Amino acid sequence: MRAYLVVFRMRLLMELQYRGAMIGGILCQMFFGLVLTALYRALYAGHPQSVPIEHVVSYVWLQQAFFRMLLATDPDLLDKIRSGNIAYDMCRPVNMYWFYYARIAAQKLMGSLMRGVPMLMVAALLPKGWGLTLPDSPLGLLAAILSLVPGFFCMCALENVTMGFTMRTLDPRGIQSMLNLLMMTFSGNILPLTLFPDSWQRVITLLPYAQLLDAPIRLYTGEYAVTEAFHIIPVQALWAGLLIMLGTGIWKANRKRMIVQGG
Amino acid sequence: MSFIEVDDLKKSFIVRKKREKGKLFREKQTVEALKGVSFEVEKGDLVGYIGPNGAGKSTTVKILSGILTPDGGEASVGGRVPWQDRKEYVKHIGVVFGQRSQLWWDVPIIDSYSLLKDIYKISKSDYESRLKELSEALQLEELMRTPLRLLSLGQRMRAELCGSLLHRPELLFLDEPTIGLDAVSKLALRDFLKWENREYGTTIMLTTHDMEDIAALCSRVMVLGHGKKLFDGKLPDLLEKFDTIRTVSVKYETDDPVLDMPESVKTGRNGDEIVITYSPKEFPTPELLKALQNAGKIREMTLQPENIDHLIASMYKEMDL
Ligand SMILES: Nc1ncnc2c1ncn2[C@@H]1O[C@H](COP(=O)(O)OP(=O)(O)OP(=O)(O)O)[C@@H](O)[C@H]1O
Ligand SMILES: [Mg+2]
Repeated sequence: MRAYLVVFRMRLLMELQYRGAMIGGILCQMFFGLVLTALYRALYAGHPQSVPIEHVVSYVWLQQAFFRMLLATDPDLLDKIRSGNIAYDMCRPVNMYWFYYARIAAQKLMGSLMRGVPMLMVAALLPKGWGLTLPDSPLGLLAAILSLVPGFFCMCALENVTMGFTMRTLDPRGIQSMLNLLMMTFSGNILPLTLFPDSWQRVITLLPYAQLLDAPIRLYTGEYAVTEAFHIIPVQALWAGLLIMLGTGIWKANRKRMIVQGG
Repeated sequence: MSFIEVDDLKKSFIVRKKREKGKLFREKQTVEALKGVSFEVEKGDLVGYIGPNGAGKSTTVKILSGILTPDGGEASVGGRVPWQDRKEYVKHIGVVFGQRSQLWWDVPIIDSYSLLKDIYKISKSDYESRLKELSEALQLEELMRTPLRLLSLGQRMRAELCGSLLHRPELLFLDEPTIGLDAVSKLALRDFLKWENREYGTTIMLTTHDMEDIAALCSRVMVLGHGKKLFDGKLPDLLEKFDTIRTVSVKYETDDPVLDMPESVKTGRNGDEIVITYSPKEFPTPELLKALQNAGKIREMTLQPENIDHLIASMYKEMDL
C-alpha cells in the first residue's frame, strides 16, 4: 500500500513544478469559460428556459475548472509505454494497474486543483449572470464534494483503460480521439447535460461520463436535491467499480502479449 | 539443480510492415527473436552474454526478468518461473537496462531511492546501511541531492546501478551497462561489479558489446546469434577457437629495413613503426620472429594484445551472422 501512496505523492510534487503549463491552462480554460458563457447568455436572451441561466453559467465554470481531471493524459506514462521504459516498472513487485492508477490520480488531482482553485476564485468575482454562483446550500456543497470522490475514481479508471489499450496498440491516438469525443460530449463539457432533452437525459445521466463531473455539479447548483445524492453516489460507485474491473482485466490480459519496445 | 535453468526458450514478434502500394492490408512478418535457447547458470557466477545486434540478448533478459512471456520453452530462476507470479519473482532480481532510466527525471536521485525502498519494502536500517555502502562504492555521495536530469551519462549509470541493487537482489541482469561510458567510469564500474559479486555472491548476467567488459569480468561467456546459442564456455577457449589475426609493431634502428614476408602477412607503417598483422595458423610466430630479425636490428617491439573486437568480428563472420 505504501508504495502506491508514495508514488502518488511523488507525482503530486512533480506536477507542482509545472507552473508554466498551469498558467497556460488557466488562461485557456478561462477563455473557453467566457466564450461559452457569452454563448449561452446570447441563446437565453429573451428566451427564458427551464434551467436558469445562473445554473448554466456555474455549470460551465465548474466544468472548465475541473477540465484537467477529465482530459489530461500523463505524458510520462505514454512515453514509458512507447519507449519501452515501462520495462522497469514491470520488474517491480507491485500491481502495475494500481501503480499507474496512483500516478494518474496524482496528476489529475494536482493538475486540476492548481488550475481549478484560482479559476473558480476569479469566476466567483465576475458579475452576476457571468460568474460562478454560490452553492445552492451548504449541504448541497457537501454532497457535491462527496460525489466528486467516486466521480474522480471513475475518471482515473477511464484513463487507465486508455492506458491498457495503448499498451496493445503502442499508439494512443486512435483510441484516445474516440474516447475523448465520447468524454467531451457525454460529460457535459461541450454542452451542459442539463440542456439535453429530458428523455435523452434519462439515458445520458446513467452513462459513466455523467458520473464524473455532471452529477457533482448538479448537486452544487441545486439541480439535484441533496437527498438525491443517495441515488447518485451508489451509481457512481458502481461505475467506478466496473471501470476498475475492466481496467484490471485489460492489464491482466496484456501481460501475456505484452510488447516492450526497444533494447 | 542450477540457479538459472533455461530450456528451449522461444520468442517471436509480429512486425507489421509498411503497406505496399496496391495492397489493401499491411503484411505481417514474424521475427523469431529466440529460436530455442538453453543454458544453465550456477549461483554466484558472472556470465557474459554476447552476440551481434538483434541476436536476441535483450529479449532473453526481458523474459528472464519477468517482463515478457515466451512462446515456448521453460525457465526457472531459483526455483521460480519468471513470467508466473511476476510480483513475487521480481523481488529477488535486479535489472539495469543501459539505455533506459528507472530513476525519476526531475527529482533528486535520493527521492527515487526512497521510493524504491517503499516499493521493495526494505526496512529502514537495512536501506540506510545498503545505501551508504553503495553510494560509497559507486561514489554517489555528492550527487544524492541532484536531479537525475543534471547527471552526466556516467554518473547516471552509477546511480541506476545503485537503484537496481538497493534491495539486495540475488540475481542481477545488466543489459549494456557500459554503453557510452569513458574509460575511467568503465573501470570503476567493472571493479564495482566484481566487488558486489565477491562480497554478496550476487549472480550476474551481463550483456555487452564491449569485449573488455567480458574479459575483465566474466569467467564464462555465451554467444548468441540469430536467436540461437552458438558458444558456451570460457573466453580464452572462445578466443583460441577464433584466434585468426595478431598484430605486432616493430621499430628498427635502420631507416629502411627490408622485410621478407609471405603474402599472407600484411605490413603497414605508422610513423617510424612497422605494423604487421599475421595469422599464426598460416605463418607460425617463431618464423615471423626469425623474419623480423633478419631484416635488421630491432630497437623496439610491441606485441599488441589480441584485439578482441577483431576477433569477435571474424568470429561472427565465420559463424555466418
Ligand atoms: N517489440 C518488438 N517487436 C518486434 N520485434 C522485436 C521487438 N523486440 C525485439 N524485436 C526483434 O527481435 C530481435 C532480437 O532483438 P533483441 O533486442 O533481443 O536483440 P539484442 O541481441 O538485444 O540486440 P542489440 O545488441 O542490438 O541490443 C531483433 O530482430 C528485433 O528486431
Ligand atoms: Mg539489446
